[in-house]
Amino acid sequence: MALEIAGLDLGTGALNGWAIWILPFVAALIVPGVAKFSSRGTSAVAVAFALMSAISAVMLLPSALEGNEIHDQIPWISSIGLKAGVLADPLAIMMANVVGWISFLIMVYSTGYMKGDKSITRFWFWMLFFIGSMQLIVLSDNFLQLFFGWEGVGLASYALISFWYQDKKKDHVGTEGYTALGVLQYYSPTHAGMKAFIMTKVGDIMMLAGMLLIFAFAGTFGFRELTHDTAWATAMSAQGLLVPAAVLLFGGAIGKSAQFPLNEWLLEAMTGPTAVSALIHAATMVKAGVFLVARLGPLFFALAAVGIAMDQFFEIIAWVGAITALLLATQGMVSPEIKKVLAYSTGSQIGYMMMALGIAGLSQQFVDGYTAGFFHLISHAMFKASLFMAAGSLLHIVGSRFMTDMGGLRKHMRKTYAFMWAAGLALMGAPFITTGFWSKDAIFAAVYESGNTWAIPIFTIALITAIITAFYTTRMIGMVFFGNKSKHIEKMEKEGHHIHEAPKSMWVPYGILAVLTIGIGIIGLSAEEGIHELFTEYLSNTFGISTEHEVAMESEPILGGFLSGINPIALMASLIAFAVGFGLGYIFYIGRFVDPVKFVNSNLFFYAIHKFFLNRWYLNSLIYWSFVTAPLFFARGIWRYFESTVIDGMNKGSEKAVGWSAKVIQGTQTGISQSYLYVFGAGILFVVLLLLI
Amino acid sequence: MEYVLLQAVFLPLLLSPVAYYLGRKSGPNAATWFTFGLLLYCTTIMIAPVLSGTYEEHYPWTKMFGEFGFLLDGLASPFAIIIYVLSTVLAIYSKPYMVAKITEQFEEKMHHQKQLVGDGQSTAIIESSALKGYLNNQIGIYFALYLVFAMGMLGTVLATNLIEFYVFFEVMLIPGFFLIAFYGYGARRRIALLFFFWTHVGAVVLLLGFLAIGLSTGSFNFAEIREERIPPDILAFAAVAIIIGLGVKLAAFIFHIWLPYAHAEAPTPISALLSPAMIGIGAYGIIRLIVQLLPGQYEHFSLFLNLWGLATMLYGGAMALMQDDIKRLFAYSSISQMGYLLFGIGSASALGLAGSEMMYVSHGLGKGLLFMMAGAVILQVGTRSMTKLGGLAGKMPITAVCAMIGALTIMGIPPTSGFMGEWTLFYGALQTAIQEGSTIRMVTFGLGLVSTVITMSYILWMMKRVFFGKLPENLSNTKEASWYITAPMMVLAGFTIVVGIYPDIFFNQIIPFMKGVVGV
Repeated sequence: MALEIAGLDLGTGALNGWAIWILPFVAALIVPGVAKFSSRGTSAVAVAFALMSAISAVMLLPSALEGNEIHDQIPWISSIGLKAGVLADPLAIMMANVVGWISFLIMVYSTGYMKGDKSITRFWFWMLFFIGSMQLIVLSDNFLQLFFGWEGVGLASYALISFWYQDKKKDHVGTEGYTALGVLQYYSPTHAGMKAFIMTKVGDIMMLAGMLLIFAFAGTFGFRELTHDTAWATAMSAQGLLVPAAVLLFGGAIGKSAQFPLNEWLLEAMTGPTAVSALIHAATMVKAGVFLVARLGPLFFALAAVGIAMDQFFEIIAWVGAITALLLATQGMVSPEIKKVLAYSTGSQIGYMMMALGIAGLSQQFVDGYTAGFFHLISHAMFKASLFMAAGSLLHIVGSRFMTDMGGLRKHMRKTYAFMWAAGLALMGAPFITTGFWSKDAIFAAVYESGNTWAIPIFTIALITAIITAFYTTRMIGMVFFGNKSKHIEKMEKEGHHIHEAPKSMWVPYGILAVLTIGIGIIGLSAEEGIHELFTEYLSNTFGISTEHEVAMESEPILGGFLSGINPIALMASLIAFAVGFGLGYIFYIGRFVDPVKFVNSNLFFYAIHKFFLNRWYLNSLIYWSFVTAPLFFARGIWRYFESTVIDGMNKGSEKAVGWSAKVIQGTQTGISQSYLYVFGAGILFVVLLLLI
Repeated sequence: MEYVLLQAVFLPLLLSPVAYYLGRKSGPNAATWFTFGLLLYCTTIMIAPVLSGTYEEHYPWTKMFGEFGFLLDGLASPFAIIIYVLSTVLAIYSKPYMVAKITEQFEEKMHHQKQLVGDGQSTAIIESSALKGYLNNQIGIYFALYLVFAMGMLGTVLATNLIEFYVFFEVMLIPGFFLIAFYGYGARRRIALLFFFWTHVGAVVLLLGFLAIGLSTGSFNFAEIREERIPPDILAFAAVAIIIGLGVKLAAFIFHIWLPYAHAEAPTPISALLSPAMIGIGAYGIIRLIVQLLPGQYEHFSLFLNLWGLATMLYGGAMALMQDDIKRLFAYSSISQMGYLLFGIGSASALGLAGSEMMYVSHGLGKGLLFMMAGAVILQVGTRSMTKLGGLAGKMPITAVCAMIGALTIMGIPPTSGFMGEWTLFYGALQTAIQEGSTIRMVTFGLGLVSTVITMSYILWMMKRVFFGKLPENLSNTKEASWYITAPMMVLAGFTIVVGIYPDIFFNQIIPFMKGVVGV
């Protein structure tokens, strides 16, 4: 039935396309009304609408698998000739399903996690507002409408990061009093929210500039219109504005996806409730940047057909991704806070996706990198959401964000322990059974096979990052679940708090995702091939990007059996990365053969590098110095020495001038007739003299 | 639809004594609802002409000055609507605010008298009846002045004649002066004088420009002014005089001397009219008088206006970051926002100009909301210093939500009207930069975008300091403001979102007009 509706009846399909993003907004509007009657009702409404939105998305799935495209437009700003519309092509529909279903699971989780919170209505409002905005990004058919969603998710993120706006000590992130280069690395929720909003706004203005540049030449914001008629690109390229515009657009993705150098906001975003971290700062919003690149990548790549090479653009994407992947992975190794480890890991993994999408544009087989990037997006969304929700359970039960306050929890929280292993293995890229392995392997292969000059350095970075990833994931699980109970837990138990498993509404959602990670992992290769086929068709139908992939495949003799279609070098790299990273992690944190603290302090080099990573490569401090402290200092200078003296002086000056002139005139009004007569006489004398001469 | 605009402009003036009389006889309620009803009527009757497109009325005046007319076209109607919508909703808002303010002033006065007399024997009964008389009298004066202030602003944007424009320009100044002098804060008489002095200096410079044009063309009617008929040197002089005169009203950089004082110390409902409605009229003047009437001069000065706007944007934003007083912060923010308007006017493109006007609309709504929030905080908490505030979101949720929507409008975040103003404005600037191949315009475009980040910083920081963080202990009994305060805020908040999602409400008027002016 669903297939019939979505596949054959285009009208209903279009309706679904609108419903996916409008339903959450409708729910956001009615939730405050429902709250007047029953606070429990708000949860039901919120979850129900999230489910309805997800169902609308899944109804479109058959159409996507057939390679169809739904494009429906309505008039919007007719005075400029702009239309609003939904564009549900295979890319958008896949993304909408990922967002829709993960959001739904997180909403279910939230009913447990946020139970009893006084501001639950506000929480649901912003969660729903967020889902609506995110789906708006996914389904928009033009830049301007997309930008509404783009800023909407930023706003929701701001509101939810500073959700606990009372700034209580327990809601902060960072270690109290810890400074790096004189900048305090300890943030309150409201500070963190502001930081996130302003920092992503820096990306947003770049994106706005890029959008407007393209609009100035093309006269349209529509993605399909831009694809059909590429005269704008030729004109822009002639003026040398095309690559700058594309890079500016990518600036938006850098901000939203927390890529270098706008990566620093994501860590502090962890002040929000963990459900928010899972939804916004792991599974969906930070993927908006990746989605944007996936939206635009083919459009720019297809310009090769009219003789415009966009290599610089794709090189920038690949390198930004590679740098971010490494930068954040190294920091993830040393963070003591569990949510921050996951946040670093998120940024790092998104770096992988960017790397893949960038490499796609630099290689002959665009679709390889493209599929790899998107497949990693899907698998990461599942396992990272699961990990975050599990971490939320830990925080909920233990009452501390520090891993050093946990330890030895595996006997008390068996389910969480098992699910965290499953999802964690996916993050590590455990061979053959996890989605993370296949998607990471696909990225390795795409990079290695691209044949670009940068392939080898980027491949090396990817490999090192993968080792580090496996290491920090093992470290996290080891610190939380193995070893002895921390003092904090012992104290809790003494005070009569019982350490127990999280409630059902919480563990079921992350359990589902963890199981799915493994389930899809087992059939990972065919899943990837399915996406590959779908995208091959999509890219050639919509953008005219053809591929000779199949031919290339046959010419190379590769591993036989079920591993056919895998690049052996990439495979080796994946296996080695997992083995090395996991092995090291096991030695330090699970087997506990070596004490990591003693190890780091044993030698100056390790100590220095540990400190360097812990202080976030000093990037955060430098950003604060150059973009907060220095401008404020400068503004204070102007305030003191210009506004308060010169400008304000004009008031006092004019006052004095008027007063002075009044006195001068007053001085002449003496009322003494003799002096009047003298002046009168002198005047006459003067006039007579003038006449005589 | 005959005499519609005549009614809309002159009814408030003619009936202002009634407001005074009602206030004096029956107290604040009667005066408030009378003022509200009158302004609501005037706003409603304007809607039909606004929707009909261009609408004109002409009345005979003196031979010397020409016709006395009213024109409601694509340029004037958004200004007219915003001015009257704000005046209408703020009339309701005024009631609790002014009652509290006047009571406070009465207590001050009594305290002062007591000190003079030194006996302290006056009984509470006498005091309360005296208060009632004083309050009724003062509130009557307030609403009478309020009505004249509103009609002065409307008259200015509807005028079709230079002298008429000037007369209304001064008419809005005089009640403004008295309102600050009578009901302001701090050294209110001094600040009122300061406000009057500087804006009057601006107005006189403006008048010089008008006279230069009028005497050389032989007519003061907008419709009969042709640039070609004016000798070039006089033309340049007139254009500079008009730009400077209106620059003072706009509080553009260097000429913003008066604004922080006037806006910070005026009674808050008046701040909420001064800042969003009044100063933007300077931008209206530049579009009407320079862009439309003297296009040659506009072409000549557009880059300069653009740069001046940029300087104002950045400067106002930087100074707003330095403030601790909420109202002073909003005053500097208004300067910065006026910079956006000027920036758009200087963009020399239809969409840039349209964006500039849209910014007036959204600034009117957004800053109106923010000033109303400041008033609500002053009323409920009694302080404007942000260091003494914090965590009020839990205590005043409706005010906080409305203020947040206002903040988003000023920051230009969709789905508020601010974004619609901002993107068209910057797009216009970019378009001209590309067409002219001008590097300097490209740079101003980039810096203009950067200034939106500064705007965002000071606004979010303000929100943090007022509404978020720890609630100071002495504020733990704070209550939400009354419906008189919150209902008008909700109206404006709804309006800005509607305009943000469906901007055609205003763009349908503005864009064809601007295209006609620029000649696209």
